[in-house]
Amino acid sequence: MPAPISMPKLGMSMQEGRVVAWPIEIGGRVERGETLLVIESEKAEVEIEATASGFLRHVYVPVDETVPCGALLAALTDTPDEPFDADAFRKSNDLPEAPRPASEAAGATRAEPLRDADVQRGPRRPIAPAARARARELGLDAEAVPGSGPGGRVTREDVEAFAARRKGRRPVAPGVALDVPHQGEGDPVLLLPGFGTDVSAFARQAPVLGESFRVLGVNPRGIAVSDAPAEDAYDVATMAADALRCFEGRAHVIGASLGAAAAIELALASPERVRSLVLITPFSTATPRLLAVLDAWIATAREARPATLAAALLPWLFGDATLADPRARERIARGLAEIAARAPVATLERQAAGLRRWSGTRERDLARIEAPTLIVAADADLLVPDAERIARAIPGATLVVAPDAGHAVALEAPELVSEAILAHLRRV
Amino acid sequence: MSRLLSTGQAINEALAIAMETDPDVILLGEDLVGGGTREVEGTDEMGGVLGTTKGLEKRFPGRVLDTPISEMGILGTAVGAAATGLRPVAELMFMDFLGVCLDPLLNQAAKLRYMFGGKARVPLTVRTVCGAGMRAAAQHSQSLYWMTAGIPGLKTVIPSNPAEAKGLLLAAIRDDDPVVFCEAKGVLMQRGEVPEGDFTIAIGRANVVRTGADVTLVGFGATVSVALAAADALAKEGTHAEVIDLRSVAPLDEETILSSLEKTGRLVVVDESTPRCSIASDVAALCVDRGFDFLNAPVRRITAPHSPVPFAAILEDAFRPDAARVIAAVREMG
Amino acid sequence: MCPEPIPTGVALSRERLLEAYRTMRRIRSFEEKLQELVLAGKMAGFLHLYVGEEAVATGVCMHLDSRDWVTSTHRGHGHCIAKGVGVAGMMAELFGRATGLCKGKGGSMHIADMDHGMLGANGIVGAGIPLATGAALTAKVKRSGGVGVAFFGDGASNQGQFHESLNMAQNWKLPALYVVENNGWGEFTPTGFVVPVADIAERARSYAMNALIADGMDFFDVFEKAAEAIARARRGDGPTLLECKTYRFSGHYVGDTLAYRSKEEAEHWKQRRDPLERFEHRVVEAGLLSSDALRSADGEVAAQIASAVAAAEAAPLPDPTSVTSDVYVNG
Repeated sequence: MPAPISMPKLGMSMQEGRVVAWPIEIGGRVERGETLLVIESEKAEVEIEATASGFLRHVYVPVDETVPCGALLAALTDTPDEPFDADAFRKSNDLPEAPRPASEAAGATRAEPLRDADVQRGPRRPIAPAARARARELGLDAEAVPGSGPGGRVTREDVEAFAARRKGRRPVAPGVALDVPHQGEGDPVLLLPGFGTDVSAFARQAPVLGESFRVLGVNPRGIAVSDAPAEDAYDVATMAADALRCFEGRAHVIGASLGAAAAIELALASPERVRSLVLITPFSTATPRLLAVLDAWIATAREARPATLAAALLPWLFGDATLADPRARERIARGLAEIAARAPVATLERQAAGLRRWSGTRERDLARIEAPTLIVAADADLLVPDAERIARAIPGATLVVAPDAGHAVALEAPELVSEAILAHLRRV
Repeated sequence: MSRLLSTGQAINEALAIAMETDPDVILLGEDLVGGGTREVEGTDEMGGVLGTTKGLEKRFPGRVLDTPISEMGILGTAVGAAATGLRPVAELMFMDFLGVCLDPLLNQAAKLRYMFGGKARVPLTVRTVCGAGMRAAAQHSQSLYWMTAGIPGLKTVIPSNPAEAKGLLLAAIRDDDPVVFCEAKGVLMQRGEVPEGDFTIAIGRANVVRTGADVTLVGFGATVSVALAAADALAKEGTHAEVIDLRSVAPLDEETILSSLEKTGRLVVVDESTPRCSIASDVAALCVDRGFDFLNAPVRRITAPHSPVPFAAILEDAFRPDAARVIAAVREMG
Repeated sequence: MCPEPIPTGVALSRERLLEAYRTMRRIRSFEEKLQELVLAGKMAGFLHLYVGEEAVATGVCMHLDSRDWVTSTHRGHGHCIAKGVGVAGMMAELFGRATGLCKGKGGSMHIADMDHGMLGANGIVGAGIPLATGAALTAKVKRSGGVGVAFFGDGASNQGQFHESLNMAQNWKLPALYVVENNGWGEFTPTGFVVPVADIAERARSYAMNALIADGMDFFDVFEKAAEAIARARRGDGPTLLECKTYRFSGHYVGDTLAYRSKEEAEHWKQRRDPLERFEHRVVEAGLLSSDALRSADGEVAAQIASAVAAAEAAPLPDPTSVTSDVYVNG
């Protein structure tokens, strides 16, 4: 029976070998233990001994050729002239053709590796894995949940509180429910927060008013747990219409900045529902500076953490006296960061678009406002310079100016603002 | 009935029970008897460097073998004896000495059963002292259980108090696999209530030693008391910590850790070894890998620094994880 | 070659002589078959052949029974066969089959058979020595009458495990036998380069241990010296270091190019000292066994090995899920 001679594997690293010599002529006899062939592997020549005696019948691999380990090199037969079919013997004893890796096969294209630029980057608010999982279970978007943990991290508890608050929301339009926290009993008082903020911007006023009134804070579309329908813009008129559905009868309507714009719309559209009006740092036409600050606000919110956004906003929203006091500054910045964390970038963009559309549309209508109106202005307000002009334009409006305060006057001069509002409501 | 015993006394009691109940149990190691009791009147045996084997040779003559200072010979011989029918308890005086005798553990005890296709068993127990706290400095203080825990085929247990030491040691000796039994110095210095009689504590199951809903503190060996002290302080602040004693670092009771994490959402693991490739890192990886959706805060590892164990008291105290660091980590979790 | 006389101390029946020959031939043929299989690419792994050293394992293990344990080395197939381990299970193991002695988990360097007192080949040089010491300790504690036998090479006598074990065994007067197979080469380095004593047996003196030297190429000399050492161990008189001077016919491992060793040296040992040929000359000359009986033994062995190969090749591969079984006894 013919015996195959294959390229031996000498040591772990040997993959292939070169035939250096066949010392036995074809047809010649080799004794077991005699050198049958010489190969070169990894730069060393090695004599390979025959493991059995026989005749070198056929050589498949000539001198100087390199083949992989295991490849058929030659055939040895017991006798010099027994029948032998070289091709058939090769088929049954040589290595199979190595299959090519699929990636090299014709026509196959390799998937391009993902480039860094394809991956969404930029800081997101930290959300604990447990919070994400719980939000998933409750069918909520964890990104929309305000975080109470270190660095504004959203925790599982935050998600649960968020879900609980959503339960008490008030439907204002088909598929839209708003978060309307309330406190106190009595005649309704509506609180409408400004751009990018929620009703906690009135945190210092609400408890004071709650002692005598039923205070309803309206978190507008896209803020806190209010629904955020995917619209191009949250128009000021829509904000007003939404607010109208949050109370019965007549209400005192208090708005700050963009919230004041909504209050103006409400007073003009449904005067019978407005008992009185309080406009805190209002505007009727946005200045280029206000618009530029909104752009900066949005850009920063997109790129940075809430604390960074708060730090960037601070000089635009507060007066020198506050900025000069490091402790007050730090406390206010922390509060502002928490507020900012509750306003997703998409909401900021939609509110800004609504604000731009509204700006300048009501200059002539201010005079039509019938409700008794209080204007609260701040003498260091960098964003809204025309509060006094609005006070003059609205018939019978009274004006209170907070000294040394900036645009966020309700946060910066809370007692003054609370007292002015209470005095106004009592007067009505 | 239970009495107040030191961990060393509890270990001595467990060894005596093991030897009494099984004639195949032998002890071998350096100075297990020690001294000239057998030769010179008026001298007393040492019973080991910490006295844990005192009196056993008198009760069980011929079964407590004083060896030369030849750690590789001790462990290698013990592996051979274990594979051929004895149930040896070998003592490696300090775990740092693994450096001179790793082969019998790494390549023999751990692998014989596997290499032989399940046809061998190596019921060997290696008792060894580990950990800082006795001013023993860098070569007599290291906590190397992470190393043995990483070797498939070995089990590694580490009791947290005297009663645990007794029950776990009896379980280790009666286990048919090689078990490394770590005696942390911080635990050896403790005294506690120890039940009388023969009892074992299952290897591979962690013990919830205190329940709480706000945060999970995982400890083992000497760090269980650190975690308990932290839990006491946190309770005064209104934070209720659950404390888990791993008991066995290999196998690791993953389910007990994960179900506690599921409940609390927060986990701190306290490990007196150095941080790289540690049990602490292993537990943290488990939480991220299998408990990701339970995490309400980052997992925190409180370990020794990445340094050898220092000598001076002030340095060694700074090296060892303490309750204050655990408390601070929990507070930072919010 | 002029046949040497058989030592007068060795009185073996015809059956026992035939058994000794069959064992040596089985080892030789088994190893030669492996060489063939590896070079043909049919078998994987690091294989170290015992060809040339057959008289050592055979001469020692002829004295052992089921009470006794042996530990071995990376060059361990010969010790397995001499201790009575079946070649079918060994061959299946080397082929990595589920039917192998170790279910395909051990391979050549960890081949073992606890049922035959074979405590494993060992991939760590010197590591079997304390294991055999432990087996001897078990025998002493349990008073089983058994001995622990460690086979190891000249290289292992440079390891700490050797010295620590000998020291402990002598201290405790353990029933142990340390058989050092001095084959002249530690991997690719001549023993003389790394061992400063002329005879490794001299090292026993440091431990006040009994020492003997045997011609490892002569079955009868090994048999006689081992008899003395093992009887001494069984009597409780303590361990012996038995040095057997032998030679590794093949390289360190299958595939070794042997560039470091002269052909003349190897030829000298193969032509003049081959333990099988020497055995045959002497027993035939003494009229104890006929050439025909030996050739017939050769045939039996060849058939046995051929059938072991065929069975191994046809045997099932291990289930890949078994990779995690047998790590622990209890979970």
